[in-house]
Amino acid sequence: MMLRWRAGHLPGPHPAGLRWHTLAFEAHGRRAEIEVPAPAADQVRHIARGVREAAHRHLRQRPVDAVIRTLDQAVARLLDPADPWRKQADDLLPIVSGYDAEMVRLALTGYLHSFRAPQLQRFVAEDFPNPKVLDGFQPAVKGGAVRAFGPSLLAHSWAGNVPGLPLWSLACGLLVKAGNVGKLPSAEPVFASLFAQLLAQIDPELAACLAVVWWKGGDRGPSGALFAEADTVLAYGGNAALQEVREQVPVSSRFLGYGHKVGVALVGRAALDPQRGPVAARLTAHDVARYEQQGCYSPHVVYVERGGALSPAAFAQYLAADLQALAHRHPRRALALEEAAAVAAWRQAAEWGGHAPALILGDEQSSWSVVVHEQPQPLAPSAGQRCVTVCAVDALDDVAPLLAPHAAFLQTVGLATTPAELYRLADMLGAAGVTRIAPLGAMTQPEPGWHHDGRFNLADLVRMVEIEGAAERAADALAPYAQELR
Amino acid sequence: MNTAAWPAGMAALIERLLAFLAQDGCGDAEFDALAAALFALQYEHDEPYRRFCQRRGITPRRVAGWRDIPPVPITAFKAATLSCVPPPDCERIFMTSGTTRADTRGRNHHPSIAVWDRSMQRNFRRRFMGEHDRLPMVLLFPGEDELPNSSLARYLAQAGRVFGAPSSRSYVTTHQGLDADGVCARLQEAQRAGEPIAVLGATFSFAHLLDALAGRRFALPPGSRILDTGGYKGQARELPPDAFYAALADAFGVPRERCINMYGMTELSSQCYDHGNAGVPSVKSGPHWLRTRVVDPLTGRDVPVGERGVLAHCDLANFNSATAILTEDVGVAVEGGFVLLGRAQGAEARGCSLAVQEFLEAARA
Repeated sequence: MMLRWRAGHLPGPHPAGLRWHTLAFEAHGRRAEIEVPAPAADQVRHIARGVREAAHRHLRQRPVDAVIRTLDQAVARLLDPADPWRKQADDLLPIVSGYDAEMVRLALTGYLHSFRAPQLQRFVAEDFPNPKVLDGFQPAVKGGAVRAFGPSLLAHSWAGNVPGLPLWSLACGLLVKAGNVGKLPSAEPVFASLFAQLLAQIDPELAACLAVVWWKGGDRGPSGALFAEADTVLAYGGNAALQEVREQVPVSSRFLGYGHKVGVALVGRAALDPQRGPVAARLTAHDVARYEQQGCYSPHVVYVERGGALSPAAFAQYLAADLQALAHRHPRRALALEEAAAVAAWRQAAEWGGHAPALILGDEQSSWSVVVHEQPQPLAPSAGQRCVTVCAVDALDDVAPLLAPHAAFLQTVGLATTPAELYRLADMLGAAGVTRIAPLGAMTQPEPGWHHDGRFNLADLVRMVEIEGAAERAADALAPYAQELR
Repeated sequence: MNTAAWPAGMAALIERLLAFLAQDGCGDAEFDALAAALFALQYEHDEPYRRFCQRRGITPRRVAGWRDIPPVPITAFKAATLSCVPPPDCERIFMTSGTTRADTRGRNHHPSIAVWDRSMQRNFRRRFMGEHDRLPMVLLFPGEDELPNSSLARYLAQAGRVFGAPSSRSYVTTHQGLDADGVCARLQEAQRAGEPIAVLGATFSFAHLLDALAGRRFALPPGSRILDTGGYKGQARELPPDAFYAALADAFGVPRERCINMYGMTELSSQCYDHGNAGVPSVKSGPHWLRTRVVDPLTGRDVPVGERGVLAHCDLANFNSATAILTEDVGVAVEGGFVLLGRAQGAEARGCSLAVQEFLEAARA
């Protein structure tokens, strides 16, 4: 059966002559055609100006708590398995992304927890000790007062097929009361569209401050038009794609790029006793399988410390067994030819490369691969698709120097060790370029209010406006009730 | 050639192979039998290949036909010495280009170059020469003396030596590059004399020649033909095939049906050809001693007919390294052969996880 669904979100009447483009998806024996609005450059300009105008009119005066309430309502709908919006997401996302339906369902629910009202409050509090600065001038400690203004128009260039990802930046944009125009990723045009359409039902006024559109990656007509209108551009993607976006952003505008990253896991001796070792392996397998390692937080290499009851090789065996079990519970998505070739090349490199050939667990027919190295290996991403390297190290201290040369690509480390070691290693890893230390099993689920790639999600978006203490005093001098000093 | 270093049975197998190449064709059973015999030889004497097979639980007893032979990824030619004969005792070693570091170049060892030569000549004659025994040839690639480890240099030099009229020679040197003026003068002469001529070379050499011609056109006499090979391999200037053959036909006055593309690789000992490039992509096929499967690159299983996969060749002339190789070339099986669709490019990241390709590019930068 063919599903047809209209994606995107345009506030107000559609521009005359708007083109719609169809993106076709097929997975799990089902097909979906997703229609996306593909405005031309002048239409993008028109949409962007409308959104900016609406945000200026409706959003700027709205207290941040009211924005949070609306987002919370939308998220509550999506957390309700019986809600038609949620059902729509559960139906479409597996076809569009190819991921196992049950995996998407579980991951999406976990993810949405981070966008409920208390979590959003935490988001705001993390960046603004006094969240009321988003609503009006607040006294500053140094004297005077400050207020945070979000961008008039925030452009989002989303990328990738990890469902829900656009919600991070979209929520941030709304919390700082920006007008938002998002460019859908061709690989997953559903979630951001669905969220915007749901907002439009719950709170049309808020949804008027938001548009979700699409154009073919690299089409500089519409992208150039949007980036020229925006005062802040937030982009996800590989370095080449980010470079392309950045070139189009006027020098006076703010560019925030979130590049592709590679994650690693570190398993210390303390976690390698006969009881805890298998648990650590199971949690690691979960992080590997979740979204087929397509997330920036996904682990590609697991560094396992020698000297525990469980040797690194034995840990790898447990990991392999858990991946095999997960292959049954959550089958790997079907691979495109290029992806299969990449996995094959990664396995071949392990089999033929290097001086000591690596042990490879899982054969060519398995939907996962574990390569075991007894010697420390430099960091390198795997081919994804549940391909992971287990690398023995004498001590977890040895890992940071292996990561440091690739600082620009680091983000999440899953770490299993004692409290004392946690802080000591975090110092080393942080210095090497890592920005997030997570427990095994939660690498793919960052905490609300996390600092994505070490940045401030909200503070990066705003412009602080301050009334200097001296200005206040100068105004006092001009007050009708001012008293001359005698 | 040090035949004393050859394993027992190799000399006899080579004789059998040479006779097989000389046949006009072969049946499935004949092909399978020779493939199995060569596999047994390689399994016994080619240690890295044996270990590769053992890891997959394949032994000669389990190989009934060519489809059962596990194809070696071409990566293995870089990482390991795939040879039944110690390299110093090999008559020729061909190496892949593309990198300056010798240790990362793929190497194919030829204990006796006679098989490679026979394979080249038999098939070249049938697939390129048409009605001619000899043709004057303009070769757009450095000679064998300059590039002794290049299989393409030997291929073109041998074409000139065996099938070229006496005036045939190369117009490219590694130092001076392409002698475009020399080529033009030679083509002019052929045009004036009304004598058919063949121009053969690397695809990128033709691209350079087209640039050098800057719009100048020839009308080469009827019967003239062109052979290009190799594609662009990362050269900066990349013409889509249709535009490339249109430009060739236009510049030289050789109809596209007689613009032949040869598909070969260092890791093989035989070549595949199309029947001209009037339409692209063209259908290519090998000689009767080479068979091709289109497979899933990961599982190695045949893909359904009509679907894209990577090419896995079983080339009986590759008697010393590995008869079955797994390429990185994407293709589709069609009636009469296969269509080549380019290389399996590094998969793009679908999510926000770093792709191997991007990581490598960053490391190079």
